[in-house]
Amino acid sequence: MKPVWQFIKTQKSYDLHSFVLGIFVALLPAAAGILLLGVSGWFITSAALAGLSGVFLNIFAPSAIIRALAIIRTAGRYGERMLTHDATFRFLGNLRNRLFSAVAENAVGRQRSGLILNRLTADIEALDTVYLRLVVPIVLCIVVATFLLLVWAGSSGLVLLAGLGFLAGWALLAWKSLSNSDRKTARRADAASDAMRLRAADLAAGRRDLAIYGGLDKAAEGITRASEQLRSVEDGLERRSIRLSAYSNLIGQAFLATMLFVCAWGVAEGTISLPYAVGLLLVVMALPEIVSMMLPGLANLPRTALAATRTMSATGAAKKGKQQIADPEKRPEENPGTGPVLTFKNVTFTYPGASRPVLDNLSFSIERGETLAIAGRSGCGKSTIAALAARLRDSDSGSIRINGTDISDYGEIDLRRAVSVLSQRPYLFNDTVAANLRIADPDAIDTQLWQALERAELADRIAESADGLKTVLGEGGLGLSGGEQRRLALARAFLTRPALFILDEMTEGLDEKTGSDVLSSFMEFRTDEAVLMIAHKKRELEVADRIVNLTDTTAN
Amino acid sequence: MRGLKTNTISGVEIGGADSSEKRTLGRAGVVLALSDFLWIPQAGLIAWTLGSILSAVADPETNLEVSGVMPLLLTSAAGVIAIALLRVVLQTVAQNTSRRVAQAIQQRARTDLLKATVVRSPADSFPASGAFAAHVTDQVNLLGPYYTNYLPQFMRLKLVPLAIVLVTAWFSWMAALILLVSGPLIPVFMALIGSRAKTASAEQQEELTRLSGMLLDRIKGLETLRVFGALERTKSDIREAGERFRLGTMKVLKVAFLSSTVLELFSALGIAFSAVFVGFSLLGDIQVGVWNTPLGYVEGLFILLLAPEFFAPLRAFSAAYHERAAGLAARQKLSDLLQSIGPAAAVSERVLPKRESTGSTIRAPRISFDGVSISLDGRQILSKVDLELAPGETLLITGPSGSGKTTLLDCVLGFRTPDSGSVRMDDKHTQEVAHEFRQNVMWLGQAPQLFHGTLKSNLLKGVSDPQTVSESEIWRALRLAGAEALAQRLPRGLDTPLGENGFGLSVGEIRRVALARAAMRKQATILLADEPTAGLDEETAVDVIDGLRLLKNSRTTIIATHDPAVLKIGGRRIDLDGSGIAREPEVVP
Repeated sequence: MKPVWQFIKTQKSYDLHSFVLGIFVALLPAAAGILLLGVSGWFITSAALAGLSGVFLNIFAPSAIIRALAIIRTAGRYGERMLTHDATFRFLGNLRNRLFSAVAENAVGRQRSGLILNRLTADIEALDTVYLRLVVPIVLCIVVATFLLLVWAGSSGLVLLAGLGFLAGWALLAWKSLSNSDRKTARRADAASDAMRLRAADLAAGRRDLAIYGGLDKAAEGITRASEQLRSVEDGLERRSIRLSAYSNLIGQAFLATMLFVCAWGVAEGTISLPYAVGLLLVVMALPEIVSMMLPGLANLPRTALAATRTMSATGAAKKGKQQIADPEKRPEENPGTGPVLTFKNVTFTYPGASRPVLDNLSFSIERGETLAIAGRSGCGKSTIAALAARLRDSDSGSIRINGTDISDYGEIDLRRAVSVLSQRPYLFNDTVAANLRIADPDAIDTQLWQALERAELADRIAESADGLKTVLGEGGLGLSGGEQRRLALARAFLTRPALFILDEMTEGLDEKTGSDVLSSFMEFRTDEAVLMIAHKKRELEVADRIVNLTDTTAN
Repeated sequence: MRGLKTNTISGVEIGGADSSEKRTLGRAGVVLALSDFLWIPQAGLIAWTLGSILSAVADPETNLEVSGVMPLLLTSAAGVIAIALLRVVLQTVAQNTSRRVAQAIQQRARTDLLKATVVRSPADSFPASGAFAAHVTDQVNLLGPYYTNYLPQFMRLKLVPLAIVLVTAWFSWMAALILLVSGPLIPVFMALIGSRAKTASAEQQEELTRLSGMLLDRIKGLETLRVFGALERTKSDIREAGERFRLGTMKVLKVAFLSSTVLELFSALGIAFSAVFVGFSLLGDIQVGVWNTPLGYVEGLFILLLAPEFFAPLRAFSAAYHERAAGLAARQKLSDLLQSIGPAAAVSERVLPKRESTGSTIRAPRISFDGVSISLDGRQILSKVDLELAPGETLLITGPSGSGKTTLLDCVLGFRTPDSGSVRMDDKHTQEVAHEFRQNVMWLGQAPQLFHGTLKSNLLKGVSDPQTVSESEIWRALRLAGAEALAQRLPRGLDTPLGENGFGLSVGEIRRVALARAAMRKQATILLADEPTAGLDEETAVDVIDGLRLLKNSRTTIIATHDPAVLKIGGRRIDLDGSGIAREPEVVP
C-alpha cells in the first residue's frame, strides 16, 4: 500500500487545485442523489398523511427542491467526471514522460524493451484507477458517511446504531480488500501478460530465425500458453471482484431491511415521525450506488499496487541516478586545443558480474587529425573502449579526457556535440529517412540530407523509392539490407562535425567494394577530427595512423 | 482449445461470438433481469409494511404499540433479506457465466491471429513487432468488457424496464407514462451519441497503438538517440504524442460522459416527476392518472421505489455501450490486422502434413532453379535464374549488397515464391516441402536473431528432441563456431540468459552463437549461409570458415558472401550483378 500512498501524494502535489476540486465537485451529485430519494420519500409520506387528515402542506417548496436536486445530480456528475478524468490524464501523461526520461537516462536500462514499454503503457493505464476509482470514491464515502452519522445521531439511538453497524460493515469490506490486495496474483498476471507480449514481439521481429529454428508454430504455441496462464490468473482476479460486489450488495440489502425495521420501530415508539422515517429509509436505498463507486478500484487494487510500486521505484531511481547524465547545460572549461583530443589513462573496466576486468589499466591517446585503430579478437573489449569513450558506460578507475577535460565533467549536450559514434548496431527508427537522418542534426535541410546520403552511397537507393526522403524505414517499412543500414548510419555521422569520431567496426557487413568506398568517403569527409576506429579489417587498419593491439595490451 | 475446423472455416469473424456463445450471453442477461424482477416483491413488501404503519399512525383510534408491529416488522425484514440473498446469487451466476464466455472468445481471437501469423512467409513484410504485440494483448483484452457487459446488459435492458412499466401501469397509468416518456427517449440519444463514440473510440485505439509503437521504437533505439544527443528532442516528441493521446482520450470520454449525462438527466427527472406526481395524488390535488380508485399510500410508495430500478438497466447499458464502442473498434482492428497478415485457411492445408523429421531426407537433395524471376516493390531482383545443384555440391553466390543474394536463399527456403519459374528440391517444389525442410536445414542468416531465454535454450531451438542432447555436443557446436571462449566467459555459462537481440553480446558474438545453433542440427542435409563472416574478426572468421567447411561435407550447400576468405571454401561460384542476372564467373578460385 505504501507505493499507492506515495503515488497519491505525488498526484496531489502535481496539481493540488484539481485534486481537491475534483473531490469537491464529486460530492455534489452524490449528495443530490441521496437527497433526491430521501426528500421524495419524505414528501409523499407527508402528502399521504396530509391527504388523510386534511392538514395543510406546503407542496411547492419540496417539489421544487426535488426537481432542483435532479438537475444538480446530472450536471454535477458530468462536471465531476470531466474534471477528475482530465486531472488524472494530465498527471499520468506527465508521469509517463518522467518515466521515459528515467528509462532513457538510466543508461539504456538492462531490461527488454518490451517490458519497458509495458511499464510506460500498461502500468500508467492501471494507475488511472488510483484517483478516479479509489481516492475520489473513498473520500466521497467518508464524507457522506460522516454526514449521515450526524443525521442519524439526531434521529434515534437505534437508527444511529444500525447505521453505524452497516457503515462499519462496508468499511471493513473496503479495509479487508485494501489489506488483502496481494500483489502476488497481480505479479503472476503480469508475468503472463509480459510473456505474451514479449513472445508476440519475438514472433513478429525474428521471423526468419524462428521459422527455421524452433518453428513459428512453436512460438505461437508459447503465446497461447501464456494466454492460458493469464486467463487462469485473471479468473481469480475477476472472481475477487464479483465476490466484492456480491458482499457489498448483501450489506446494502441487509441495511435496507434493518433500516425498515429500525425506522418503523422508531415510529411506533414515537421517537421519529413517519415521513422522516421513510426519508431515512430511502436514503439507505441510495447508498449502495455511492459505495459501489469504490468497488472497481478496490477490486483492481492488486494490479494498481504493483503498477504503483514499479512506477514509483523507477522514477525514484531516476532521481538518484540523475548524475549519470549530467546537467545538459554544464560546460567544460574552454580548451585552446593543443593537447590530444582523446586520452585514456590507466582505465580499468569490469562488466557487472564478470570475474575479470575486460580492460585493465589501459592507456592511449589520439591527437587532432589522427586516426587510431584498436585491433584485437572480438570479445577482447574493443567495443567497451568505444562505449567508455562515448560515456555510454563509466570506467571503474582511471581517467578519460576529451580535449583535456575529464569526460565526466561534460554536459550531455556538449559531449554529444564533441563526439560522434558510429555504433556497431545502428538502429533505424520506424520513421522516414529524413527523420532518421535528422536525429544527428535536427536543423539539416533536405539538400544536406541528400549530400550525406550521397557521401554514404545510399542516395540512389533512396531516390529509387517514390517517397524519397519521406520513405518510411525500419520495422514494417522499407527493408534496407544490412549494408544499406550501415550506410544510412554513416550518413547520419556525415551530418555532424565533432572533435572525435568513434567508428565501431564501420565497414562490417559491407562487401569489399562498398566497404572501401564507404571508408574512403569517410576519410575524405573528415578533416582534422580525431578518429578512434574499432577495427579488424585489413582495409580499416591500413588507413589508420597508429594501431593499438588490445590483445597485447591486456596480456601484459 | 477448439479444433482446427472451428477456427479456420467457422465463419466466425475474428473476435466474434458464435451463435451458442451469443445465446449463453443472452441467458446471462435473463438471469440478471430475474434478479432485478425480485426487487418488485421486495419493494412491495417495504411499501406494504410502511403503509400498515402509516394507517396505524393516521388512524387516531388505534394506539401504535411497538409490541403490536413487532411480528410484522420481523417478517418483512426477514422477507427482504431472503429475497436479497437470492438476488445476489443470481447476479453472481450471471456475471460468472458471461465472464467465461468472454474469456473463450478472447482466447479464440488470439489463436486465430497466431494461426495466420504462423503461415505468413517470414520474407514478407510484417506489422511492426510493437504493434503486433499490442494487438495480441491489448486489443484482444478490449473484447472482454464488451462481451462480459454489453450483451447481457442489452438483454436486461429489453426485459426489466418493460416489466417495471407494466407493474407501475397496473396501479397508475400516469406514473407509467412518466417512465415511458423519460425512458424510450434515451435510446434515441444513445444511438446519436453512440455512433460518434464509436468513431472517436476507433481513432483513439489507433492513437494508442501509434503511441505504443513509437515508444517501443524509441526505447529500442535509445543508444543511437543518446550518442547523437537526440534524447531531449525525443522526450519532447514523446511528450507531444502523449499529449495527443490524452486529448483523444478526453474526446472519447466527453462523448461517453455526454451520453450517460443524458441518461442521468432523464432518470433523475423521471424519479422526481414520479415523486411529485405521487405526492400530489396523495394530497388529493391530482385525481387523474389512475384507473378508478384513487392512489393509496402503499401503491404510491411502491411506484416511487420501483422508479430507480426502471432506470438502473438503462444506466448499466449506457456504461456498457462505451465498452461496445471500444470492443467493436478492437474487433475491427484485429480483423484488419488479420487481413494484412493474410488469412490462414488457404495455406494451412498445405503445411499441415508433418512427418518425422529424421526419416525422409537422409540423403543430401538436389536443388534446381528453373527460370526463376522475382521482383520486389517493383524492383527486379532475380531475372530468369537457372541453376542446378547436385546433391552435396557447394555453391557460392557473390554480388554487391542488395543484389538479391538473400532473396535467392529465401526462394530455397520457400519464404518467397518466384513470380515465374520454379525452385525444386529433388523435383518437389520448395513450397511443398518447406515446412519439413526448414526443420532440417542448417541456416545462418545475415542478421541472426537470438531469442529470450538462456544461451542453451537458444542453441537447442533448432533441435527436435532437446532432451537427448548432451552438454558435450553443445560445446562441440560452440567450438566449431568459434564461440567456445565466449560461452566460457559468460557469468553463468550455458545457462546465462540472453535478452533481446542477444543483448550483452556483440554482433560478432551473436553470429557465432547463431552458427553454433545451426551446427546443432547434425542431421541436416542442406547448409545455407548468408554472409557468414560479416561482423567477425579475421581470426574468428577463419574458425567459422573452417567450421563451415566441415559442415558442408555431404550437404548441399549455398553460401552468399563477398568475403574472399569464404570463397576459399571452394565450390561453384555465381555472380549476381545487381540487375537480377546470375553469371558464372570464368575463374573459380
